[in-house]
Amino acid sequence: MSLVDRPTADPGIVNPELRHQHDEYPVHLSGLIQPHGVLIAVNPTDWTVTRVSQNITAQFGKSLENVLGKPLNHILPTEQITQLQAQLQSQADGVTHSQLSLNTASSVINLNCFIHQTQTEIVVELEPIAEMGTVQLMAERNRLHQAINRLQQIADLDQFLQTAVGEISRMTDFDHIMVYKFDAQQAGQVIAEVAQPGIATYLGQHFPAPDIPSLVRRLYQTGIYRFAPDLNAVSVPIIDLDRADGTPPLDLSRAILRNVDPCCVTYHQNMAVNAFLIIALIKDQELWGLISCHNTTPRSLSHSARSDCQLLGQFISAELANKVSQEELEHVIKLGNILSEFVASIAQAENFKQALLQPQNRLLDLVGAQGAAVCLDGEVTLVGETPPLNQVEALIEWSDSHIKTNLFHTHQLDQAYPAAAAYPAVASGLMLLKISQIRQYYILWFRPEVPQTITWAGNPTDHLSVNADGEISMCPRASFEAWQSNVKATALPWQQAELDNAIDLRNAIIGIVLNKADELAQINLDLERSNHELASFAYAASHDLKEPLRGIHNFSNLLLKRYSEVLDESGIKRLQTLVRLTQRMDMLIDSLLKLSRLGQTELTMEPTDLQAIVERVIEVLQASRSDATAQANIQIARALPTIDCDPILMGEVFTNLLSNALKYTKQAHPIIEIGYLTPEEQSEIAIPADVASTKKAVIFYIRDNGIGIRDRHHQNIFQLFKRLHERDAYGGGAGAGLTITKKIIERHQGKIWVNSVYGEGTEFCFMLT
Amino acid sequence: MLTAVDKSLFVIEDSDEDFEILKIFIEDMDITNPIYRCETGDRALDMFYQEGDYKDVEPLPHPSVILLDLNLPGTDGREVLGLLKGDQRFRDIPIVVFSTSSDPADINLCYEKGANGYLVKPVATDELEKIVQSFAEFWLNINTPPQLT
Repeated sequence: MSLVDRPTADPGIVNPELRHQHDEYPVHLSGLIQPHGVLIAVNPTDWTVTRVSQNITAQFGKSLENVLGKPLNHILPTEQITQLQAQLQSQADGVTHSQLSLNTASSVINLNCFIHQTQTEIVVELEPIAEMGTVQLMAERNRLHQAINRLQQIADLDQFLQTAVGEISRMTDFDHIMVYKFDAQQAGQVIAEVAQPGIATYLGQHFPAPDIPSLVRRLYQTGIYRFAPDLNAVSVPIIDLDRADGTPPLDLSRAILRNVDPCCVTYHQNMAVNAFLIIALIKDQELWGLISCHNTTPRSLSHSARSDCQLLGQFISAELANKVSQEELEHVIKLGNILSEFVASIAQAENFKQALLQPQNRLLDLVGAQGAAVCLDGEVTLVGETPPLNQVEALIEWSDSHIKTNLFHTHQLDQAYPAAAAYPAVASGLMLLKISQIRQYYILWFRPEVPQTITWAGNPTDHLSVNADGEISMCPRASFEAWQSNVKATALPWQQAELDNAIDLRNAIIGIVLNKADELAQINLDLERSNHELASFAYAASHDLKEPLRGIHNFSNLLLKRYSEVLDESGIKRLQTLVRLTQRMDMLIDSLLKLSRLGQTELTMEPTDLQAIVERVIEVLQASRSDATAQANIQIARALPTIDCDPILMGEVFTNLLSNALKYTKQAHPIIEIGYLTPEEQSEIAIPADVASTKKAVIFYIRDNGIGIRDRHHQNIFQLFKRLHERDAYGGGAGAGLTITKKIIERHQGKIWVNSVYGEGTEFCFMLT
Repeated sequence: MLTAVDKSLFVIEDSDEDFEILKIFIEDMDITNPIYRCETGDRALDMFYQEGDYKDVEPLPHPSVILLDLNLPGTDGREVLGLLKGDQRFRDIPIVVFSTSSDPADINLCYEKGANGYLVKPVATDELEKIVQSFAEFWLNINTPPQLT
């Protein structure tokens, strides 16, 4: 590939093929070096020169013919070559530096010598040294020590890096020093900067990933600094020994002198940069960022200063793990606080949904979102900036079939879910937390696309002009615009702490739900136990209590029947009382038994014609209580409806209420009315507040003109064995009828109450829901 | 093995009072069939299976009917019913349950296990008398018990 058909390094490249070419363009095979030094490649077996840079003639006065194919000692003294060989032995895969001097016809040249080995050859790079006194050298050394001492005192990452760029600025005298940090998408952001007055600043500025092609990143990762003292200098070609046989180009990956790629030159010159030194920052074997030193004018830098910067870079890299950004730390702490407060309030909440949704900001701050949707049992509630409800529902539906993990997150939702292209401004980023798939308990958080989020520091276009030839080349302006197009429909990535918070929230909710389930299970267990005990009690009451009762009853009767001649009148009376008391006790036990069974048996709900039920009840009552019932006037106001209920139990309700109406009266001809009122007709009847607040339903009533009930007894008439009258008044009774009636109504999720005017009559009302 | 049928009544009842009353009511009817009684289910089973105290005792002839109380100490009446009705040798002996329990669950369970009748013990003496005498009249006088072939 010639330079002509290089793709322009347009970072907005959307064509993946072009993008790949750009990313993988082999800058290390350019066959060119910068002109401020000489490169010689030798054969590792016999140390004969295989390639040499064309400027060897200009620099050392050696002709190419005298060098190529010849032993290296045609260029360097033998003892220095021996020294180099020893160096290479000791450090096989790095670049080692030494100093040597070369006698040319006219002078002695002091040189920095860098030596390293490629797959095929040994590469020797020679760079003339500008004279430098020992005092200056000492000063440089001290500066490095002081810099390291100062940096070791700082714990906060941002401050640490800011101090570091200050130190490097002093060590290099370059006029613009920046630290770039790469995010997970390889986009860079300037996070520390020192700039001389008049230099455009880029602090906070984002740069898209393609600004640094992938291959170049990999070269940085070797940890070797990149130094270009003059971007205007013309590159020097490397001349091969066998120019015709298609020798593969020399691998310049670790060559200090490797030329600067034209694209990179343009890029920097567009920023008015003419010299740079770039040092990689590597954390956990990954390229974490770069220290970039720029100078507007060409600028040389001694090897010792460069290697001091490299050392400082290595120190910074090593320290990165120990420094925590105070800002990030505060953010993480804040997130943690929100989470714990959140969890505490959910744990105490009666209403789980309310606790999630109120206050709204808490749900959003938990993961740094601007909008959220809470889906409980498929019912969606929106909070903050979100897509419209129908779109959110569609997204949830899509997630049901496409997302199987408990936590899904993306900062480019439309890549996964194309329909999201309709609303990038509110939901380019999505974090989806599935608390329960089965019950559809989901929380979705949304983030807008980046330009809505980021405020730009400075204007990168102020001091710039676009290339005159109109070519889209890499310049900060193009880069910025490209970046903007790049972040279309892209949100800020979710941070680990935010994802952790979501997972912690899920665990907390599940924990709370499980706790509640445990509590419930415990309550159920207790309930089961007490039900069981109640059943045992009822059983005991029916068997064990009744047995002696029968004995007393039967033996009293035996005495009455077979020994009446030996008993006097009062003895007989007392035995009769004994018999009566056992009968009464039997009745009480039966009522109790009935009540306990009522609580345990399942209702048999079915559509029931109440009219037929009530007619039958009246018939039975008339048959058994002929005297009072015959005289009574029992009216059904209008045909009663058919409702869902347990027919046998409802029959019992009407039996109890009707027989009470017949019993508790002084009228010779009692009038009893049975009827019902629809919700629209209920204004004419008194309804207690707790009933009125529940669902509207039909109210049934049984009205009599009997003796009435005093207000103070309206509640306790429903208590078990509670009677308002003497034991035998109004036909006696166990005092369980109304208790059983109330229990039946409650088993139907209904309410029963009484309205009465003492001395005028009573009206029992009940509502089934 | 039980070999003969002697038209006896076999009562399994733990309450002395209940048994005494029962006897009185049956005696009032001039019924002379022998009445045997066991106070516990275990004892009754020992008699039928010739175990325990009845190991070396001549097996009892089959009664015409067994009157069984459900609420027994030790082995419960429901179990006794299940065992006898589950055993081919005793399955044909009519068993009538005589219990205080009017719980539908109890009643249905007994019929499921093969009971031939279920009588609820009432508290009222005259009612009890009526029940006991009807029972005795039917099972000891009217009904034809299973015959040995």
